[in-house]
Amino acid sequence: MLDFLLSALTPFNVSLALLGVAAGTIIGSIPGLTATMAVAVLVPITFAMPPDSALILLGAIYTGAIYGGAYAAILLNTPGTPSAIATTFDGFPMAKRGDGDLAVSVACLASVVGGLVGALALLLLSPPLANAALAFGPVEYFWLAIFGLSLIAALSTGDFLKGLIGAAFGLLISTIGISETSAEVRFTFGSQTLLGGVEIVSALIGLYCIPVLIDLVATPARHLEPAEQTRGFRLPEAFGALLRNKFNVIRSSVIGTLVGALPGAGGSIAGLVAYSEARRSNKTSEPYGKGNPGGIIATESANNATVGGGFIPTLVLGIPGTPPDAVILGALLVQGVRTGPALFADGSGVVYTFIFGLFLATVLMLPVGLLIGRFAYRAIVQAPKTALVPVVAFMTVIGAFAIRNNLSDVVLMIGLGVIGWIAGRRGFSVSPIVLGLILGRIAEQGFVQSWTIGDAIGDLWGQFFGRPLSMGIIALTVLSFLYPFWPQIRRLFDRRSRDARQPGLPSAPVGAIAKDLIAFLAFGGVALIVVVQSAGLNPEAAVFPRTVAIGMLVLVVLAVVLMLVQRKASKRGPQGSAVRRSLVPIAMLGGAALIPILGFALAGIAMALVLVFAAQHERSSGKAWTGLILGVGLTIVLFTFGFRYLLDVPLPMGLFS
Amino acid sequence: MLKKLCAAAVISAVGLAAGPAVAEDFPAGAVDYIIPFGPGGESDVTARFQQPFFKSLFGEDMVVSYKPGGGGAVGWSQLNTMSGDGSVIMGTNLPHIIVKPNQGDVGFKTEDIVNVYFFHYTPDAVVVKADSPYQTLDDLIADAKANPRQLTMSGSGKGTANHLAQVRFDELAGTTTTYVSFKGTGASTTAMLGGQVKAQWGYTTVGAAQGDAVRMLAVAMEERHPAFPDVPTFRELGYDIVSGAYRGVAVPQSASEELRQKVSDAIAAINADPDFQKQMLESGFALANVAYGAEMDAFMAEKSEGYLAAARSVGLID
Repeated sequence: MLDFLLSALTPFNVSLALLGVAAGTIIGSIPGLTATMAVAVLVPITFAMPPDSALILLGAIYTGAIYGGAYAAILLNTPGTPSAIATTFDGFPMAKRGDGDLAVSVACLASVVGGLVGALALLLLSPPLANAALAFGPVEYFWLAIFGLSLIAALSTGDFLKGLIGAAFGLLISTIGISETSAEVRFTFGSQTLLGGVEIVSALIGLYCIPVLIDLVATPARHLEPAEQTRGFRLPEAFGALLRNKFNVIRSSVIGTLVGALPGAGGSIAGLVAYSEARRSNKTSEPYGKGNPGGIIATESANNATVGGGFIPTLVLGIPGTPPDAVILGALLVQGVRTGPALFADGSGVVYTFIFGLFLATVLMLPVGLLIGRFAYRAIVQAPKTALVPVVAFMTVIGAFAIRNNLSDVVLMIGLGVIGWIAGRRGFSVSPIVLGLILGRIAEQGFVQSWTIGDAIGDLWGQFFGRPLSMGIIALTVLSFLYPFWPQIRRLFDRRSRDARQPGLPSAPVGAIAKDLIAFLAFGGVALIVVVQSAGLNPEAAVFPRTVAIGMLVLVVLAVVLMLVQRKASKRGPQGSAVRRSLVPIAMLGGAALIPILGFALAGIAMALVLVFAAQHERSSGKAWTGLILGVGLTIVLFTFGFRYLLDVPLPMGLFS
Repeated sequence: MLKKLCAAAVISAVGLAAGPAVAEDFPAGAVDYIIPFGPGGESDVTARFQQPFFKSLFGEDMVVSYKPGGGGAVGWSQLNTMSGDGSVIMGTNLPHIIVKPNQGDVGFKTEDIVNVYFFHYTPDAVVVKADSPYQTLDDLIADAKANPRQLTMSGSGKGTANHLAQVRFDELAGTTTTYVSFKGTGASTTAMLGGQVKAQWGYTTVGAAQGDAVRMLAVAMEERHPAFPDVPTFRELGYDIVSGAYRGVAVPQSASEELRQKVSDAIAAINADPDFQKQMLESGFALANVAYGAEMDAFMAEKSEGYLAAARSVGLID
């Protein structure tokens, strides 16, 4: 064992791990650049290396990228990678109130702990955990997805019905395109782009980031509260938060390891499940979703634990645990390393050197992550709004493009962003929509597969409800759904408090009710379209979307009736200038339209000029303007070059190629 | 074979000497190799296998990138808008490009894709867990006959090669088995290993990756796979099934006849390399050598007929 440790610690391997973690962290922090992509880009470089070094580099990049996703989640409310979705829930509120630096440090510590737990499991428990993961069948994946959906109850702040409707909407979006289980084309309305479905990462960027940008330009208020004085890394505070959450961090790391070991689940689900559990068992007075560091700790420790966890089926079974593992598995094949049952049995040196390399990379993430995190925090907090808005907007455009090298994804991203903003105004928060979008495919596949198997063996009931593992997950789901309503449920059974009913809230103005009504009708319309179109599909392709759409219709009717009876409506009125707000999507769409003609850099600069103007609230001198424009332009050109030459993204060159 | 080797030698010599100046040369610089799927699948892995050999034979980089979506449809529907000067090639797959366009409008027609070379295929295979009661294909057939529909088999998706093989097998063996569609070979293998289904319609690559954990009952090849000399072919057992997922390289329609031939020759040269062959076979792939021209036309005609018949009989297409 010591030999392997020593061979992992050669100067070459240590510098590779350092390089990998740093590169991964930076790539992961850019919305649109996922861990999968970071790893895929680096694969050709590893061909020239010995297998163990290649693996260490790829593992380090993967680890770094999963952590890097936290920066954008905390500082911009946009998960840099899908694994960091739940990091936004508490991270962004923390950053808003001026604790962004603390949040980044907490995320780093939690990531390191999670990464170490995952690596430890990989070292010690690989074969048994891999076999345990095999017990997870289609039904269990279905119920796991439903369990993930139970977070809606917690996330739809204030209005559960609206949350459910949003989640149903997300589920329906996830069914667009060629169906995975029946190969049938669904809900594409003749569009070639939609054939491949709505790409999740670009949808995430749109739904989370565009509303932030739109609200950012509308008022002169700062993006984040600046710190009164330089406070360093705030490490003691971060350690304190970690210690207060010691059970949380261990539980979340274990959840992350286990979910990571399930092929087909991945970091986003691990983060959501861990968050949900942390929220449910929260004993402190500080609520989740409003800036409790516990939320970041849960998500970040869980998603970094999936790195080690995901390698378990990858190395033991030769089946990738997470999408980046699929790439690494391919790289291993090319290297001539046979993964699969024999790899561990042989006591093959490559595996153990790699595992120690993973430990090394995780430990190195502490200094590297804190330093880069500090830089990212400073950059976002200190940047004037006039620079932040155009640069972030450009990042979302180029990031959404790079995922599938497809310009239509950019348009889709912007469109979903506008939908997300409007929905948010009417009290439909985007998180339930995202939850539906992420979990929809897993839920549908699991459902259709279970149905097929249950129908074949003539025991549908037993297939869905009779398996012990399923029953466990179902119980947890029910608990998780009901928990947020516990106070109301208790009131229902408690006679004394039933008498002391809350005085009725004043009824909402007619205008707000009318606007909410329009929103409900729009969602109802979507559901109706799905029901009508499902009629022309084969039963396997139709069953899931039709069931969801019918449920959604029922919810919409219920919500409308309740609203008209209680006269309660969303009260959030927009603040600031509507012209400035609408400039954001218009400039971005305009930029996207110009890309095929002008290329990315020039179109990006044109878009940025409009956005600088939209975000400018105070008058400033000509000199400051020139500096600002030059800085933004230079950043955009640098990004374009980085994407084209470092990441090999085939960007359209435009006329000036 | 000798002819191909000579051709390879000539091409590589020309490629090294002439450099990028000559028009219609291939490769005249770095080549973008677009995989219309995500990273990590068989298309990606075999492209990665080719990558270093391309570099050493022709001295130019082959840059692999991905354009996933719609089971390849997103990439293929854009292929003909790309540059036909030899700077772009794209992965092409059977039966995908034959079955998909017949299922509805997916943005391309089978004829739109200019296939220049099919370099390998993953032969269909029936795979069971090592501790499965099925020792032979006959055991499996006997169980399927005794319990119609109850024998569940996982596969990598409706309309894929292994689904069409299952359809043909049911016809030939007179059985009714249940095909459970998973997302890709990895997920379908997981379900088989976990005992969620009784057997898997997989590929020889599954046998290579899983080793002793699984048993292959039959492979859909003309002759036994060199890496699995003990596994019979379907033909030996009396079922005429030779099929699998074929993978190759396509170019945009605007590419000249000369260039198409050159790309075909280049892929052939990689296929002729013994080290490349060894790597492919050990991973469970089977080599194919279908070159551009009359050979390709005949191959596509024959495969189209077979795949479409199977897809039609199961109601995938009208």
